Amino acid sequence: MENAPVFRARGLVKRYSMGDAVVDALRGVDLEVGAGEVVAVAGPSGSGKSTLLHLLGTLDEPDAGSLEVAGTAVAAMDERARTLFRRLRLGFVFQTFNLLPVLSAEENVELPLWLAGVGGRERRARAREALAEVGLGGRVGHRPDQLSGGERQRVAIARALVHRPLAVLADEPTGNLDSETAVAVMDLLTALNRSSGTAFVVCTHDPALIARAPRRVFLRDGRVVADERGAAA
Amino acid sequence: MRLALLALRNLTRNRRRTAISLAVIATGTAALLLTAGFVAFSFEGLSEAMIHGGLGHLEVVRQSTADSHTATLERSVAEGLDDWEALQARIEALPGVRAAAPTLYAAGMASTASGKSAAFLGVAGDPVRERRMGFTLKLREGEALADAPPREGEDRVLLAKGLAESLGLRPGDRMTLLAVDPDGMLNALDAVVAGLVTTGVQELDTRYLKLHLASAQRLLGSSGASNLLVTLDRTDRTEVARAELLRLLAGHQPPLAVVPWTARAPFYGQVRALYKGIFAFLGSIVFALVVLATSNTLLMAVMERVREFGTLRALGTSISQVAGLVGLEALWLGLLGALLGDALGAVLIVVLNALAITMPPPPGAVDPIDLQVLFVPEAFAGTIVLMLVVLTLASAAPIVRVARLRIVEALTHT
Ligand SMILES: Nc1ncnc2c1ncn2[C@@H]1O[C@H](COP(=O)(O)OP(=O)(O)OP(=O)(O)O)[C@@H](O)[C@H]1O
Ligand SMILES: [Mg+2]
Repeated sequence: MENAPVFRARGLVKRYSMGDAVVDALRGVDLEVGAGEVVAVAGPSGSGKSTLLHLLGTLDEPDAGSLEVAGTAVAAMDERARTLFRRLRLGFVFQTFNLLPVLSAEENVELPLWLAGVGGRERRARAREALAEVGLGGRVGHRPDQLSGGERQRVAIARALVHRPLAVLADEPTGNLDSETAVAVMDLLTALNRSSGTAFVVCTHDPALIARAPRRVFLRDGRVVADERGAAA
Repeated sequence: MRLALLALRNLTRNRRRTAISLAVIATGTAALLLTAGFVAFSFEGLSEAMIHGGLGHLEVVRQSTADSHTATLERSVAEGLDDWEALQARIEALPGVRAAAPTLYAAGMASTASGKSAAFLGVAGDPVRERRMGFTLKLREGEALADAPPREGEDRVLLAKGLAESLGLRPGDRMTLLAVDPDGMLNALDAVVAGLVTTGVQELDTRYLKLHLASAQRLLGSSGASNLLVTLDRTDRTEVARAELLRLLAGHQPPLAVVPWTARAPFYGQVRALYKGIFAFLGSIVFALVVLATSNTLLMAVMERVREFGTLRALGTSISQVAGLVGLEALWLGLLGALLGDALGAVLIVVLNALAITMPPPPGAVDPIDLQVLFVPEAFAGTIVLMLVVLTLASAAPIVRVARLRIVEALTHT
């Protein structure tokens, strides 16, 4: 299964019904993401970027279509299996950072390792290493409220990568950052992708970021309208 | 990073709310401790009052007598102990036995020269033994009985105040006692009122009369005693001592019974049940209040952190882990609150006891008492367990809530 794509989506449909109104958030999305790929998912607001990311992240279930993650059909996985899959094979980065406020930077980064059952000593060493990689080696003991937005997002990135997942899913990771910090964070992701071989799927509005991505998937009204590779035109 | 440690840290997030929850739990705990301490004090006061008011810890009596009567005051001399002196020597040789006192109960009529009469319940004993046993009759007027057996014609009695009033007698006055002896003959005994006493029990004070064993034996024409009342050094050894006595007295003819004081004081059982009922009632109120107060704050704490729980779930934390986190936060609250409450309760008990507040007499008693609140170690441990149970209950709703969170909704929750 090692050669299977990280994600293989076929005809993904997601529908939300609010009372009588039905919203088709995804209307049949096909997408394949290979190991170590970096994909920017772009599109106007409401085009279904977050919805797609939630499905890829096994956080939600499609109404139709099929999804395989690392060669395994998500539909065949139960709640426990999906939890384990996320725990061991995925990393998440959120627009609002979502760090645990009572934990230090280092402890936040240790969390995935702790969930994976890694012992204390190794956990600390790897968390420090991950923080050093994102340039926060000097901030290990700081709590989130003692860090700037960009620093928090870098802690979150370290947290998403520390357990060496197959893929990191990031929803508007730079949405709460100023443009300079946003570019720095995006460059960091690209650099980490090269060093770790982890695939990245990043949803974003930001044209500057989209332009930097080696592969760009455009969504509109729940459909893929373009899938470009190589340097942006 | 342990889940329990994370739970503990989470309590520091909303310090004000945590402080309020802890205060609620601690107050409930302290209230229970004070109640338990006061109830224990009342039990103990009542027990000791009854034991030292004349019941003794154990009564050695003929089996047939024990089978036929419950009230100690109704033990007849006809079915008494003829060899009480030998028994007394054997019993008093046991360790932990303070004294074994012969007692003779004589009921009859008391009359005065002025023609007044009243029924009496006479209790006769050995003043030396009774002093050693701590049988405390409060002397209100006059003087106590002499230790030595009175000579014939010099018999003296102590009258309970109620009986003295109905007979119109004062210390120094003469009176005549009439009673039926074991052979059915009516005997009379002239006596002088030595003093007035109170038994501490209102009902008894209208009938009670105290005399020397020798005087009662003279009145009843007998050398026996109705029973031997045994007092121990420690009340909590009553059952152990009873077993020892039963072993010691096995094979005696006629067969003997050893009756604990609780079996001879049905009133005690009722009071105990009443206090237990009051305690249980108060306990359930505290229980309900703390459950209500804390379940609400716990639920609020979960609702505020929905996005965080969504994040934890997205990162691969299992439902049971996030549920456990919430449960552990509740357990920490319960444990810390109960420990605080135990400390608070201990301080309050010390303070209350130092204030020496005077309380109205307990049920059946005559004299007011100084309020004392006892330390009940079981209550200190029990409240910790109770509060853990309370908080477990209180965390049920928040746990269900967090277990049912849908990850995507939780992540987008604002
Ligand atoms: N829980 C929900 N209930 C109802 N409708 C929803 C829900 N979540 C998403 N939608 C709808 O589905 C569509 C796609 O939403 P989605 O969040 O995926 O868009 P998006 O591309 O991420 O937008 P944005 O750039 O604003 O984040 C939108 O029309 C949205 O209103
Ligand atoms: Mg979105």
